[in-house]
Amino acid sequence: MEKFDAIVIGAGHAGCEAALALARMGNKTLLLTISLDAVAFLACNPSIGGTAKGQLVSEIDALGGEMGIIADKTALQIRMLNRGKGPAVQSLRAQADKNAYHTEMKKVLENEEKLSLRQGEVIDISLDGENKIITTSVGLKYEARAIVLATGVYLESEIIIGKTREKTGPNGFKNSHGLSSALKKLGLELVRFKTGTPVRIHRRSVEFSKMEKQCGDEQISGFSYLTKNRIENKAECYLTYTTPKTHEIIRNNLDKAPAISGEIVGIGPRYCPSIETKVVRFADKERHQLFLEPEALDTEEMYLQGFSTSMPADIQKEMVESVIGLDNAEIMRDAYAIEYDCINPTELNLTLEWKKQKGIFFAGQINGTSGYEEAGAQGIVAGINAGLYLAGKEMLVLKRSDAYIGVLIDDIVTKGTNEPYRMMTSRAEYRLKLRQDNADLRLTEIGRKVGLVSDERYKIFLEKKKKMEEIEKKLDTKVKLDDKLVKFYELHNESVPKESVRYRDMLKRVNINIFDIKNHFNDFQEYEYDILEKVNIKVKYEGYLKQQEEDIEKALANEKMMIPEAFDYSSIKGLRQEAKEKLIKIRPLNIGQASRISGVSPADISVLSIYVKKAKRR
Amino acid sequence: MDSIVSISTPLGRGAISIVRMSGKDSLKIALKFFHTNKKEITPRYMNFGKLELDKGIFEECLMVYFKAPFSYTGEDVVEFQIHGGILIAQKVLETCLKNGCHLAEPGEFSKRAFLNGKITLDKAEAIIGEINAESKAELNSSLQITNGKLAQKVKVEQDKLTELLAEIEVSFDYPEYDYDEIVKEKIFDVIRKIKKDNDEIIESSKSAVYLKNGINVAIVGKANVGKSSILNALLGEERAIVTDIEGTTRDSLKESFMHKGIKINLIDTAGIRQTEDVVEKLGIERSLASIERADLVLFVRDGSIEETEEDKKLEDNIKGKVVINLINKIDKPRVLTKKENELEISALTRKNIDELKDKIVDEIIGKEIDANALVLTNERQINILNKCDELMQKILNAKELSVDVVAMLVKNLWNELGKITGNTENEDIISLIFSKFCLGK
Repeated sequence: MEKFDAIVIGAGHAGCEAALALARMGNKTLLLTISLDAVAFLACNPSIGGTAKGQLVSEIDALGGEMGIIADKTALQIRMLNRGKGPAVQSLRAQADKNAYHTEMKKVLENEEKLSLRQGEVIDISLDGENKIITTSVGLKYEARAIVLATGVYLESEIIIGKTREKTGPNGFKNSHGLSSALKKLGLELVRFKTGTPVRIHRRSVEFSKMEKQCGDEQISGFSYLTKNRIENKAECYLTYTTPKTHEIIRNNLDKAPAISGEIVGIGPRYCPSIETKVVRFADKERHQLFLEPEALDTEEMYLQGFSTSMPADIQKEMVESVIGLDNAEIMRDAYAIEYDCINPTELNLTLEWKKQKGIFFAGQINGTSGYEEAGAQGIVAGINAGLYLAGKEMLVLKRSDAYIGVLIDDIVTKGTNEPYRMMTSRAEYRLKLRQDNADLRLTEIGRKVGLVSDERYKIFLEKKKKMEEIEKKLDTKVKLDDKLVKFYELHNESVPKESVRYRDMLKRVNINIFDIKNHFNDFQEYEYDILEKVNIKVKYEGYLKQQEEDIEKALANEKMMIPEAFDYSSIKGLRQEAKEKLIKIRPLNIGQASRISGVSPADISVLSIYVKKAKRR
Repeated sequence: MDSIVSISTPLGRGAISIVRMSGKDSLKIALKFFHTNKKEITPRYMNFGKLELDKGIFEECLMVYFKAPFSYTGEDVVEFQIHGGILIAQKVLETCLKNGCHLAEPGEFSKRAFLNGKITLDKAEAIIGEINAESKAELNSSLQITNGKLAQKVKVEQDKLTELLAEIEVSFDYPEYDYDEIVKEKIFDVIRKIKKDNDEIIESSKSAVYLKNGINVAIVGKANVGKSSILNALLGEERAIVTDIEGTTRDSLKESFMHKGIKINLIDTAGIRQTEDVVEKLGIERSLASIERADLVLFVRDGSIEETEEDKKLEDNIKGKVVINLINKIDKPRVLTKKENELEISALTRKNIDELKDKIVDEIIGKEIDANALVLTNERQINILNKCDELMQKILNAKELSVDVVAMLVKNLWNELGKITGNTENEDIISLIFSKFCLGK
C-alpha cells in the first residue's frame, strides 16, 4: 500500500488548488481523478470571474493559488464589470479558453515536485486510527493522514435530458459510484442538488450580424498579481434574445420539462434557473437575454449562456432555432440538467475540516456550492488547512472582514445552504474593504505565513507595498498657488483653493484623480497604473474605509470570544432547546459565529457568553 | 466596567418605583443630580433628597448606596426609590442616561453579579431563568412593537428600502442583465420619500413628548361653573404632584394626576381655586393666559343655566385649540341648548369623570394608545429614528459619491431600521433579488 502525506480526491477546481497547496507546503500529495481528461474542466460556462467571483480569484491568487495565473494565461478577453459604480463592486470577468485552461492546469500539476497526479476512481474510504485508507475501483489502496474530498458534481450523478436519464458525470464523463455510500458509512448525511448547462452551437451556423458584438476591455491587467502582461482581446461574445416564439414553444411543452413536471427532485439554484423556469416565473417578460460565448480557440463550439434547460432534445432544437440569429443553428451538444450528491456543509468547521473526524477536509461543490471560483477558494483553504493539520499547526480561518473566501466559508458552514451556493457581492458586509484591487494587501502575508506564497510572489508584493508608501508620502507634497494650479482646478470644474495645497487635498476633490495630477504636474511618472489606482482608491475612500474598519472592530469583539472545542452545550439549562440543538450541530468557533446561526437568539447568546467566560476562568 | 442603569420595578402603576445603577461611576453619576442635606453618603443607609430631573424640576426620593463589593452585582450600586408611575421612573432613567450611564441589557445586572463571583454556580440556573424571563419581557415588548403603529410604519419604511436595496444589489451582482441601471437619482428619490415618512413618524412620536412630560390641560369657564370642583374630581384620590412652573409667579401652579400611564397636568390650579371668588374680569384674563399654554382645553359651561356673553367670549378665545366641551351640573335639570361633541358631567356626583379622563388622553394621543405604548416611544427607538434621519441626510448629501458607497450607507440605514423591526436578515434582500428579477445563466 502506497503511503502519502495527503490525498486529494477529485481534480476539479477545488481539488487542483487543494493538491497544489499541500504539495507546495512540502507534503507528499496524491491527486486522484476519475479522468485525466477532466482535470480542471470548465464544465459549464467558459468564463472565470464575474461579480464577487473575480474577487475570489484574486484572493486565491494572493494566497498563492493557481486559478488566477491560468485564467490570465488562457483568457480570450477580460472585462472590468461595474466600472462606473465605484471600487467596492468592481470585479473582473474573463472569457477562458476551456481547452487551454485544462491543459495549462494539468501541466502545472504534472510539474509540481511533490505532487502525483493519477487517474483512479475512489470507491471506499476507511479509517485506521489517524490514517485514512483509500480504495480505488481497480483495487488499489493508498494511505494518508489527511484527505481532501473535492468530488464536484460526480457523486452518483445523473444527467437528465427530457425523459432520458443517464448515470454519468458532467459532459458524459464517468460518474462516481460507490463513494457516496462509503461517505454515508462514515457517518455523513448526503443531500441531492441539481444544476444544469445550456446547449453548445457550431459557430458557422450563427448569424452574428443579427446580434450585438461584445469585446473585452483593452489593455487591462488580469486576476493574478504575477501576470505582467496585459490581457489581449482574442475572441468576441455576442448578445441575442429569445422571441415570443421561443416562449410559446416552451409553454406548449411544459409537460415535458422534468424540472417543472416534478421529475427532477434535486434542488436547483435560484440564480441559475432553466429557461423554462424563467418563462414560467416571469411570464410578462417579453424576451430573455442570451449570450453566445466562445468555448476555446481550437474549437468552433459556442456556449449559449442563459439557455440552460432539461427539455427533450427535439424540443431544445425547436427552442434554439427560435432565438434571434440562431434560425439555422447546428447544436453540437444538448443542454442537460445534472443531479448529484453533496454533503451538508454545516458538518464542517470553519477550517473545512469535518467535525467528526480529524484530517478529513471537504471543498467545492460537494459542500453545496456552485461555481469554479467558489470551488477554488475552498480548495486552497482546505489544502492549506490539511497541510497545517499535518504539520501540527493552528489552522487558518479567514474572517468575513478578511476576504470573500471568509464570507463564503462562514456562510455555508454556519447557515448551511438549501441550494447550490453562489458568491454575490451582496453577501459581504464589508465590501468596500474586500475589493478586487487589494486582495494581495489583505492576504499575501497570510499566504506567506502558511508557506504558500513563493519568494517571487512575496518580492513583488513587498515592492508594490513599498511603492505605495512612496506614493502616499509624495501625496503630502505641497504645490504652491500659481497659475498652473489655478488652471488645474478650473480644468476639472473645482473651486480654486486660497493657498498652496498638497496633492492629497487635491485627491479629495470629486473631479480629480491621481492620474489627472500625474498628467498635469508631470509627477508620479515612475509608477505603473495599477499601483497608482490602488493609492487613488485608498485616499479617495479614506473616510468610508475608516468607518468600515470601525464597524469591523466592533464586530470583532464577539469573534474573539472563542468557545472551547469540547464545550458542553447540553449542560446549559438556560438555552432554549432549538438553540441548544443548533449549537450542538454547528459547534461554532466563537460567539460571533454563534450569533449568526439562524434560530439562536440574542438572549441565547448572552446566556452562552456567561458560560463561556465562566468555563475560561476555570 | 461602564455604569448601567435600568428601572428595576415592573412597568405599571405601583406605589414606588426603583431605578438602579451599577458600575464604578454609579455614585459619581448619582451625585450629579441627587441633592441631599447629608454631608456624606454612608453605604447601605437610606438618604432622603431630591432628584433634579430638569433644570429646576425636582422629585423627592430615597437613595441607597451599596459600596463594592457588598452589593448585588459586586460593583458600586445606587438605587433610587421614587414615586410610582412609569413616567417618573422613565424620567429618572433618562436623567441617569444623560449623565453617563448605559441602558442595561436584559439580565445584565445578574450577568455582572455572576461574573464578579457574587453568585455561585448552583445559583446559575436561577440567573439564567431570570435572563430568559427578561428576554421574554423583551420579546413581549418587541411583539407590542410589531403590533404598534410606529413599528408598522417603520416596517413599511424598511420594506421600501429592501426593495431599493434589491434593485441596487442586482445592478451590482448582475451588471450584464438588461434591467434599467439603478441611477443615484432614483436612490435619492426613494430616500427622500422614506425620509418624509420618517419625519412623520418622528413627528407622531411627539406623543412621546406628551408621554414624557404629560399633557397640559387648562380648565376654563366663567365663574361658578364648577371649575374648582371639576379639578378636585379629576385629582380625586390620586396623589397630586404639585410643582412650580419655571418663570411664572408663585401662584401659577400645576397639579397632575396619572391616567392610563399618562401624566395629566392641570395648569394654573391656584388661579382656578382663587378666581372662583374674585371678580369675573380677572378670572377671564387668567383663563386666557392658561389657554395659551395648554395642549388641551376643558371648556366648562353650566348645564343648568342659559348661555351667557362670557361663554361666547371664551369660546372665541379657544378657537384653534383641542377642546373638550364640558357641560357640568347635569345633576340639575338641563337648560343649556345642546351642542355637538359635548360631554355631560357632574363634578358633584362624579358622573362621567372617568370618561373625561379617557377623553383627555384620547384627544391628544389617540385612542389606540395604552400604557404599554410607552415601549414604542422609549428613548432607544426615538434615538434610532433620529439616527436614521441623520443617515438619510448623509445619503442625500452624497450626490457626488460613487454608487457603491451610497449603497453602503443605504445598507447601514436598513440595518438601523432593523433594530426597530427586528429584521436584519440579509437573506431577505437576496431572496427579493431572485423573486423580482429574472437572472441566470
